[in-house]
Amino acid sequence: MKELFASPYFGVALSVITFGIGVKLNQKLKTPICNPLIIAIVLTSGVLLVFGIPYESYNAGGEIINMFLAPATACLAVAIYTKRQILREYWLPILTGCAAGSAASMASVYLMCRLFGLDDSLTVSLLPKSVTTPIAVSIAEPAGGVVPITVVAVIGTGILGGILAPFLIKLFHITDPVAAGLAIGASSHAVGTSKAIEIGEVEGAMSGLAIGICGIITVLFSMLIRL
Amino acid sequence: MKIIKQIGIIFSVCWISMVIEEFFPGIFPASIIGMILLFFCLAAGILKIEHIQEKADFLLENMSFFFIPAGVSIINYLDILENALVQLIVICAVSTVITFVVTAYTVTFTMRLLRRRKKS
Repeated sequence: MKELFASPYFGVALSVITFGIGVKLNQKLKTPICNPLIIAIVLTSGVLLVFGIPYESYNAGGEIINMFLAPATACLAVAIYTKRQILREYWLPILTGCAAGSAASMASVYLMCRLFGLDDSLTVSLLPKSVTTPIAVSIAEPAGGVVPITVVAVIGTGILGGILAPFLIKLFHITDPVAAGLAIGASSHAVGTSKAIEIGEVEGAMSGLAIGICGIITVLFSMLIRL
Repeated sequence: MKIIKQIGIIFSVCWISMVIEEFFPGIFPASIIGMILLFFCLAAGILKIEHIQEKADFLLENMSFFFIPAGVSIINYLDILENALVQLIVICAVSTVITFVVTAYTVTFTMRLLRRRKKS
């Protein structure tokens, strides 16, 4: 029986089923708290813990899914490329905004980690938490971070940003749609972008661009820190 | 065949970026090299967007699915989560607000400067 769970089919099937449930719940309830990925992670972990299935067995299928991570990251280039017209028109505000936002994100995370006395590996796991998951993972992993902590922090940040964005726009009187869109993308990547698309077309496009640009800038900053 | 070809192109880009990472270790993680390489190929006209559109859309639309195994491995680190949960939540919340405000004000300021320069 045990070797049946160690078949890659099991891990892939379980992931697809739990993700399917997550997507359905998200469509029904329409709240950012019901993030499909979070639901899938909780349900899959729950099944493994309840039935005492070791993570290694599940991961036989997990490794096959992991194989698609690098190709998916590379395809962020396509997302930037299709928006190159807007990028050309607004390159200066996009660049300054994303650079300032990425620096503010990393600096505030670093200071709070020190303040709370978190160890280096946790700090490194959290540093890239404002950028999209594939880029955050590729920053945290080689630097000795704990990848699942990065994943959970990134999604948690996205969910939070999506919920807070409309209030923050009002609270800080952000009237420029370009500024609002870039701020949403810089602070809460793809999860926030789906909210930005609801707010307006310009906001959605800017938020989508900020995902890739902030990702690259954060990679550059994390390299500078290491030097 | 169309999709197979597109998978072939994107996986080739990923493999070439791993080769680049191997020869120049420590510059960029391979997945970021892949992203830059793909953008360069598109911008230089080596690849046309039609060559990879469907596969790229498939990967981008389902991006979060591919992170399930990485997230599930949290069950090996539940002790860390238990010890630092409150700190993690505070850090995520505060830095999200700070990042939002700094970005929004920087962009507003830059846009204002650009408009003023256009006028004068």
